[in-house]
Parts: sequence; C-alpha cells; structure tokens
Amino acid sequence: MRALVIHAHPSPESFNRAVFNTAVAALRSAGHDVEALDLYEEGFDARMSREEHLAYHSEHPIVSPDIARHVELVSTAEMLVFVYPTWWFGLPAVLKGWLERVLVPGVGFVLDAETRKVRPHLLGVQRIVGISTYGATWRYTKFFNDAGRRILVRALRLGCTGRARVTWLAMYRLDTSTSEQRTAFLVRVERKLSAL
Amino acid sequence: MIALVVYAHPVPDSFCSVVRDRVVGSLIAAGHEVDLMDLYAEGFDPRLPVEEHALHLSGLETKPAIAGHARRLSAAEALVLVYPTWWGSQPAILKGWFDRIWVEGVAYTLPEGEDRIKPLLRNVRRLVVVTTHGSPKWVNALQGEPGKRVVLRGLRSLCHPRARSRWIALYGIDRSDEEQRNRFLDRVASITARL
Repeated sequence: MRALVIHAHPSPESFNRAVFNTAVAALRSAGHDVEALDLYEEGFDARMSREEHLAYHSEHPIVSPDIARHVELVSTAEMLVFVYPTWWFGLPAVLKGWLERVLVPGVGFVLDAETRKVRPHLLGVQRIVGISTYGATWRYTKFFNDAGRRILVRALRLGCTGRARVTWLAMYRLDTSTSEQRTAFLVRVERKLSAL
Repeated sequence: MIALVVYAHPVPDSFCSVVRDRVVGSLIAAGHEVDLMDLYAEGFDPRLPVEEHALHLSGLETKPAIAGHARRLSAAEALVLVYPTWWGSQPAILKGWFDRIWVEGVAYTLPEGEDRIKPLLRNVRRLVVVTTHGSPKWVNALQGEPGKRVVLRGLRSLCHPRARSRWIALYGIDRSDEEQRNRFLDRVASITARL
C-alpha cells in the first residue's frame, strides 16, 4: 500500500520521533511504499492564510506550491498514518493546520454546490492509523474528550474517506513512564504496523 | 472587568470579524475594559518551538517570546474566544495559542515534589466562546464536538473554581441567511453585555 506518514513533534530527540522512525521502518519492512512528512522539519506553516481562505470555496483553493505537493501525496495515499504528541487533549497546532490547509474542498472532500453537503473525496484511503503519546492518563484524556483522536477518527474518516478502517495506538502517562514501558510501546508499534 | 478577547480569523472583513466587533462593542458599552488580541494581525506563530517544548516544566522567565501574551492572559478577569470552528475545533492559530501560552508558570504550576498541578488563572471568572460552524449541528454532534471540552473542561479547570462559562455557536453558517446571522449577532451582543 502507499502509506503517508505524518509527524508533528518539534524535538529530534523526543520519544515521539523514535515512534515515528519505528513506524516508518516497520511499514517499509512490510513492503509498503512509504512517504514520510515531518511537519516541523519542513517548516510547515500552520496558519491558513487570508488568500487561502478567500480561495477556499473557489475552483482553485490551492494557492501555494508547498501545499500542492502535500495534496499530491495525500491524494495518492492508501493509508494515512499520524504520529503526534497530544497537547491540550488535541492535535499540535502544526498538524491541525495541515488538515485545514491541505484537505480543502476538492482534495479531502467535495461540497455539493446546491445542497452544501459534504461528500468524501479521499476514496483511495483504506486505513487511518493514529499513534499518539499523552502526558495524561487514559481516564483524564477521555474526560477531556481526546479531541485529536475525534478529529482524525470522526471528522477526517467520516468526512474524507467514508469508510477507512482505523488502528489507534496510544501511550498514556508518558512523562512518568519507565524506559521499559517506552521500549514496550515501540515494540507494539513495530509489531502492529508490520502486520498491516 | 478586564476582558481579554482572543480573535482568530485570517480575513479582515469576514462574518467572524463582525461578530468580534459586536462582542467588543457590547463589552465596552457594559463598562468593561477590553484587550483585543487578534492572533492573525499580530502574526502569532502557533507552532510550539523546540526550545519552549524543552522548557515546558520551567517558569515563565525562561520563555521571553511568550511574555507579552502571558501578561495579558494573567491580567484577564473575563476571557472571550471568537473564532470559526474548522474541523470540529479551534483553528490551528488558536490551538497553538493554548499550546504555547497556557503553560507552566502562566496557566498552572506543578509545585516541587507534587503530582497535581495548581491553577494560576484564578482571576478569570468568566469564560465565553463565540464560534461559527460551516456545517450543521448534527455533523458536529457526530464528530463529537472535539473543540468544546478542551475549553469548557480543560481551560476552565485552570480558571477561578466557580468561573461561569457560556458557549454561543452559530451552526450551518454556509447555508444561513442574513436574518439568521443578525439574530445570532443580537444574541451574542445581549449575552456579552450581561457578562
């Protein structure tokens, strides 16, 4: 499968980066065609610009060349993999901005001109994989809604792919975890992703 | 009261800017002091930089880049967020404002040797969200309103323990007519006037 792996953590030394590297290697070893996007390293700007917002509902909503490249990658992907830390119970701004700027009408979904209904447009995507590290416990994360997971599993999956399957891998309480727990999580990621 | 109005929309003459003006106008008319923080106009970068991430347990003095916003947030007695809901939640520029400004030494503190954080924004007694949704209400319900609890449960937990919160939302704005939008503006004005 063609897999697009999207990573959003500022630190090259972070555990999240190790998870990202593990995920990419596991998918490659399983024979998938992997494209990896490191949003911080690319210097991706999270802010939808005025021009982009004005063009959003037009025939040509993509106004910058770096976005056009991301659009091409996402449009040909059969698997979308997100590796990110959960901050404030949601996606890091850089990843939230990636959804806003790249998955515009005509890419992620189409908006029916008459009924204004949303129809999925990423019909090639068969699976969405979310891998997130959380500072909080599972219970806390649920209480605050896990907005990042809901955005990817509901808004993205239902709105853009229609019926992609979901694999979710979460590591809670990262800040107080032991190195054995972190290693065990990497092994879990490795195993799960090489079996996809 | 000192009201901090945080506004996040890239287009200067958008409907959201009209909402912002009604909010600010009605707060001033009610005698409040308004501090308007326009994140796009200020060129706020929502990406948590690597050095601020590394210092996430250190005090404010180690993060000079956020000092101005931190001071304005700490001075607020009412916090009003005005933004369009995109992908079920806050636009990236506002999400990043939470990521970068609602941090140790500003919004909370983790005292040495303890495992529970202590809220620092106890002077914030009112929390108001005014937001517009492109999609109809049922779509947002299906998505689970991802942006709602992060404010009403998350941010609110760091404010005054009895802080009052209000959520004012206009759904289906893409299909709304002028009358519906005007009704919404009146509702926004009357609620913010009785802060």
